[in-house]
Amino acid sequence: MLKINNLTATVDAGRKTILDGLSLEVPAGEVHAIMGPNGAGKSTLSYVLTGREGYDVTKGSVDYLGEDLLDMDPEERAAKGLFLSFQYPLEIPGVPTMTFLKTALNAQRKARGEDDMGAPEFLKKSKAVAAELKMKADMLKRPLNVGFSGGEKKRMEIYQMMMLAPKFLIMDETDSGLDVDALRVVADGVNALRSPDRGMLVITHYQRLLDYIVPDKVHVLAGGKIAATGEADFAKTLEKEGYDAYV
Amino acid sequence: MTLMSSRTQSKPSNLTEAETELGFNLPSRRDEAWKWTDVRGAVHATARGLTRAGRPKFLLPDDLTVEEIIRDDLETDTPMAALARNFGDKVWEINVPDNYKGVIPVEIDGFESGHVRIRLILGKGATLSLIENHSGENGFSNIDVTIILKSGATLDRVIMHGDGDTQTRTLTTHVTQWGGSVFNQHTLSFGGALARLETRIAGMSKAIKSHVHGAYLLSGKRHTDMTSYIDLTAPDAVIRQSVKGVVTDTARGVFQGKFHVRRPAQHTDAEMRHDALMLSDRAEIRSKPELEIYADDVACAHGNTLGALDEQALFYMQQRGIPKDEARRLLTEAFVVDVFDDMKDEVLRESMRTKIRTWLEVNG
Ligand SMILES: Nc1ncnc2c1ncn2[C@@H]1O[C@H](COP(=O)(O)OP(=O)(O)OP(=O)(O)O)[C@@H](O)[C@H]1O
Ligand SMILES: [Mg+2]
Repeated sequence: MLKINNLTATVDAGRKTILDGLSLEVPAGEVHAIMGPNGAGKSTLSYVLTGREGYDVTKGSVDYLGEDLLDMDPEERAAKGLFLSFQYPLEIPGVPTMTFLKTALNAQRKARGEDDMGAPEFLKKSKAVAAELKMKADMLKRPLNVGFSGGEKKRMEIYQMMMLAPKFLIMDETDSGLDVDALRVVADGVNALRSPDRGMLVITHYQRLLDYIVPDKVHVLAGGKIAATGEADFAKTLEKEGYDAYV
Repeated sequence: MTLMSSRTQSKPSNLTEAETELGFNLPSRRDEAWKWTDVRGAVHATARGLTRAGRPKFLLPDDLTVEEIIRDDLETDTPMAALARNFGDKVWEINVPDNYKGVIPVEIDGFESGHVRIRLILGKGATLSLIENHSGENGFSNIDVTIILKSGATLDRVIMHGDGDTQTRTLTTHVTQWGGSVFNQHTLSFGGALARLETRIAGMSKAIKSHVHGAYLLSGKRHTDMTSYIDLTAPDAVIRQSVKGVVTDTARGVFQGKFHVRRPAQHTDAEMRHDALMLSDRAEIRSKPELEIYADDVACAHGNTLGALDEQALFYMQQRGIPKDEARRLLTEAFVVDVFDDMKDEVLRESMRTKIRTWLEVNG
């Protein structure tokens, strides 16, 4: 589903190489975890995949559902089902969460040649998702993420994810900042999205999350590459022994 | 030689053609209060209405009337007021009785060109809402408005302004507020060749409240100047001012705000904000927020920011599937509209929002 081949990427106007020949394949239906030391380039990978400005690809390719992902605008990638749950979600002042999300959803549908989702259907869906994530109704009326706590922002990412029902999910440290109950709620939400035609990339520092969202593979990102790969229990070893062997 | 000629240039007696017609020196860059808004340079001798009285149109509820009064005296010493007196022929005066409860708003338009003097007096405890539409083309409009709010009166005023890019406009409002009166003003301006919308408030007695909010959205070579001067002479005033600006192309926005808190005006609670967004780096913003405070027990603050849209927020929105242009428009709209949040009339508020959206569709 997602094939990253020999990807090299720089930041800071080409002065700093962060990803250095990274290759990784996530087939449809699988969940892959990425772990690795601080500053290894995990978030950088998520930004390169979603097309953020300032992250320049100098070598390699990314194939997503048979298309050249790197050739598309960020919004085009989103319309094709790519979703990033941000490590640090942005605040959008003055734009109520519901307005924001309805605009996003219908922009994606329009790009895919589908009809708009009407207000009643949207509201119904939103209510169901909010209930599932145990979110307070007033959070959806407030400007998106403005003044939200760290945990609330993460929960809001998952709410958006469930509303948009993307095909490929990248979660960048969605677990950090969540309390135990919230973690469980979020993991249930993510697990509900698992399906044979969806792929997921879960970036995390903690085994804890992977107890709930059990991955098919665990990778270590270090030195700009995938330095090691293992099965689900590899995360336990990494948490115990650290990354010394890979840096 | 050059020195000589520049000196003769700067002599007030060296009148432009328009000034000769008027027999009057128009405010220009040489006047500190007009340094960013050069009326002299903008008004041409051929401008419609240059030396004529304008004809405002009043839409009034049945129980109010407009009187046309000839009077020569001036209540202020501003230059444009003097000009309005010289060429405005008469004063259009509306007297709202004590305790009048305005249900239907007073609407005024027809400010296409010429000089106009209006006087609106709200009696004790009266409430009224006033809606003005200012627009014109190829002309010069000089509107002088005097508003007197007797004790306990409340006025909600909305000013919609959008001129053709060949129109010059000055709108000067002199508000006198007596004890406990409330003045709420919301201005939305899309500019013109040159426009100055000036509000001068004198707080004469205890516990007045004034909200002086506005937004300007300017494209092309348009110019709007929002200037205000709030002079407080009595205790317990509450003043809120928030002006938002959006400029693109080579447009120019001007904000000048001054709070003058005199010694008796203790416990004044006053806030001034001007926040502007530059959508193009060739556009211009000039701002001068000023606090002059002589009372010692007051809470006065001002803030002034100038910025561009947040690139990170834009990327976040794109990642959710919102095209970049639409993301820009959404963020800009959100930035501007909050100055209209406290408008009581929902229908009117929604129509301001629609106008802003339409502007953004074209220029955002
Ligand atoms: N725009 C940028 N300009 C300069 N350096 C950058 C930029 N973006 C990222 N970096 C650097 O690239 C490196 C990788 O950062 P990245 O955020 O991808 O790490 P990470 O693996 O996600 O770390 P963490 O586990 O702390 O979240 C870091 O050294 C970071 O400082
Ligand atoms: Mg990171």
